[in-house]
Amino acid sequence: MRKRILVSVSVSALLSGSAVALENGPFTAPQANAGRSQYVANCAGCHKFDLKGAGEAPALAGTGFMGAWGNRGARELYSTIQASMPYNNGNSLDVSTYQNITAYLLSANGAQPGAMDFTGRETVKIAAIADGKGPAIAPPPATASVAAPATSYPPGRFGVTVAGAIKTYQPVTDDMLAHPKDADWLMYRRNYQGWSHSPLKEITPANVKGLQLVWSWAMNDGGASEVTPIIHDGVMFLSNVANTVQALDAKTGELLWENRIGPAPKRAYGATRSLALYGDKVFVPTTDAKLYALDAKTGEIAWQTVIEDGKEGYSNTGGAIAIHGKILVGLTYCNRYQTKHCFISAYDAATGKVAWRFKTIAEKGEPGGDTWNDLPNEFRQGAETWIAGTYDPDTNTTYWGTAQAKPWTRPTRGSAAGATLYANATLALDPDNGKLKWFYSHAPGEALDLDEVFERTVINHGEQKDVLTVGKAGVLWKLDRVTGKYKDSVQTVFQNVYDSIDPKTGIPTYRKDIQEAKVGEWVASCPGPAGGRDWPATSYDPGNDLMLIPMHQSCVLMRGDPMEKKIGPGGTNAGSQQLFEMPGTDGNLGRLAAYNTSTMKPLWSLQQKAPFITSVLTTAGGVAFVGDYDRRFRAIETVTGKTLWQTRLTTSVQGHVVSYAVDGRQYIAVETGLGGGSPVAKPTALLPGLHHPGNGNAIFVFALPQN
Amino acid sequence: MRHSIIGSCIGFGLCLLAFSPVSAQAFDTRLGPSPLTEGTRSNVTGEGRAAATLDGSRLAVSGDFHGLATAATKAALYDGIRIGAMGPKLADITVTPGQAGTISGDVTLSAKQAAELRAGHIYVRIDSEKAPDGNLTGWLMPPHPFAGEDVPVPGHGFLPQYDVPSR
Repeated sequence: MRKRILVSVSVSALLSGSAVALENGPFTAPQANAGRSQYVANCAGCHKFDLKGAGEAPALAGTGFMGAWGNRGARELYSTIQASMPYNNGNSLDVSTYQNITAYLLSANGAQPGAMDFTGRETVKIAAIADGKGPAIAPPPATASVAAPATSYPPGRFGVTVAGAIKTYQPVTDDMLAHPKDADWLMYRRNYQGWSHSPLKEITPANVKGLQLVWSWAMNDGGASEVTPIIHDGVMFLSNVANTVQALDAKTGELLWENRIGPAPKRAYGATRSLALYGDKVFVPTTDAKLYALDAKTGEIAWQTVIEDGKEGYSNTGGAIAIHGKILVGLTYCNRYQTKHCFISAYDAATGKVAWRFKTIAEKGEPGGDTWNDLPNEFRQGAETWIAGTYDPDTNTTYWGTAQAKPWTRPTRGSAAGATLYANATLALDPDNGKLKWFYSHAPGEALDLDEVFERTVINHGEQKDVLTVGKAGVLWKLDRVTGKYKDSVQTVFQNVYDSIDPKTGIPTYRKDIQEAKVGEWVASCPGPAGGRDWPATSYDPGNDLMLIPMHQSCVLMRGDPMEKKIGPGGTNAGSQQLFEMPGTDGNLGRLAAYNTSTMKPLWSLQQKAPFITSVLTTAGGVAFVGDYDRRFRAIETVTGKTLWQTRLTTSVQGHVVSYAVDGRQYIAVETGLGGGSPVAKPTALLPGLHHPGNGNAIFVFALPQN
Repeated sequence: MRHSIIGSCIGFGLCLLAFSPVSAQAFDTRLGPSPLTEGTRSNVTGEGRAAATLDGSRLAVSGDFHGLATAATKAALYDGIRIGAMGPKLADITVTPGQAGTISGDVTLSAKQAAELRAGHIYVRIDSEKAPDGNLTGWLMPPHPFAGEDVPVPGHGFLPQYDVPSR
């Protein structure tokens, strides 16, 4: 069967380097030259000047590109670019720009210009005109000007644009973080345990229908936004695109201070999900992989430090967590072949001095270093930490999830059946020194872009000290958080990737054809890379011992493409995907479900066309909140899933829902946002009938009417 | 959970189930546009439903579709590796040409193929002029009532995994 969808051609020819006479390309030299400058303006921010790609942007030249595109037609390349680029703003450029950029990309892969203009209708196979061995037109200089993503960031100066003087600000202490006031939301998932649960209970199933918009605030557009508002003593701290941080009066929405840290985004993906508070400072891990400490009263920079070199593509999107006077941060986009690896690091909150680093890739000669099929260290990539960790004060342990190894597929990666430590694992670290206490590999040798990176939720079941997490494959895992021993698991969404999960060890067995897949073969995966679940976080309601999980239901055909083993390429560039509906869902991509975490049994679930792309918020009032791709923000009854109230907002409701109180009044805050990665990109392809505006990052705050 | 809402007969396939002979087994699927990418989705459009009845070794398939970007060219049953994992072609069935139309066919299954069908592995694929490698696809499965969009149901509420142990 799979021969039907095998790329039988050119992969082997490409790898063997056999000489093939190439036809002239179906474009002219002026088109390719124009396309070069248009590529710089619209594409190089993500795909880079050298067209090698970075982060979530695939390579557009060389072996990786030819592996993905050699057997496809020029028309499909054109239509793909036109439909989906610039990222989140497909079809936003004029036709000639798309034609020229396509001509430039063909040229950059060695296609020689011809006499006829490229129209976008040419079906010629790309491998017949290009070999990926070198450009017919020189790549643009790296100093060329790169425009911001299509919906541009507001122009203006950087730095403190509105100076603040919050006189009543109370420094955040260790005790406050361990025992947060009901009215506050001091960190990413509100408490160290990662519950995303508010103890506030003014809003109940009986009165939730009365919710009204109290205030809203437009946020920077021009990039991805998945923010968690952080609230302390009636002040909301908000991270925006371009690393702009604002302090707002959480009751009225008045701006108290603003610091436009910058830089302006050069790519349309990757959002800072959260800030951290400690002492008198706000900590801002930035999308260019720096860590800033701002004075919480004024917004002025107290100190800054470099986590890793942002010019090499590194970034922080996961936010930070403050533990014992240290600020712990992760790192992402560690996916190109290079000598460096991803790490978790801690910084002194007072000075910014680095306290420790924990490298998330096991190198040769290190414990776990023998799990990479003897690959040289520079070809062991991935294991990013793109979601902030959680913390258990009882055991003084911080728990972090790691992403999968890169490149995505085993055959491209060359890691065979190796577990690729510490990718797709739970890491239990001592927050004081970064020492590894234990690790648990959820998906040894992961093969299909199914991360297990998301939040680790700390829950006590009587005397049992557990930590739970659910990854893209949709398996909810329960571990002993003291020892790391596997305790239980349950599927929360249909999956066909694992044939079995060992009931004693939790080790999954991949489907045989996944284990045996070769470069160039398509392999089906349910769920696909949007999950199952993705970054939209779960919520744990301790009163009902329920975890509410927002999920996505779609499948993918994934193909590992050839990738040169040399410094520079690699990463997410070496995989092609085709999407299809998850069987049995009637085309419903959205799924929300509640699981009892003691019994691991499901209580209820619901499906709908639009996927849920916010975290879930549960509250002690028995009402939970969640938003979706189709602009709906709703309140549901936690124990039944029944919708109690809903409204439609200005664009996709994306981000992290929080609740807080000022002067005794409970508020619910949610973001509308763009650029949410796979959970947004996949429905855009699979649900062409659902539309939302391509701009509109904003915060909306609701409350019950005052008497 | 799903069993408690079995009365919510949706789509003609499940309705057919109610009138099938006792000895026959009924199967049903939505036909969704797939597989697709951003670049091919303008050619991979439409939807439909298919129903099948297995009586002994004879499998009768019928269904309809609409909304294709280009005319349907071929339809066939395929034997997937799993639910949601593609496999080799099992047998051609008849499709009416056009952007909307019907499918029909009678296929004799081996005992092994019948077992594959009961496990949810057999799927229907319709190709079209501009989507020759698949325009609409759906896995035939025993009835698994769907409560409807946005309606919470007790329990897992997702497709029963006939062939994958829960752990």
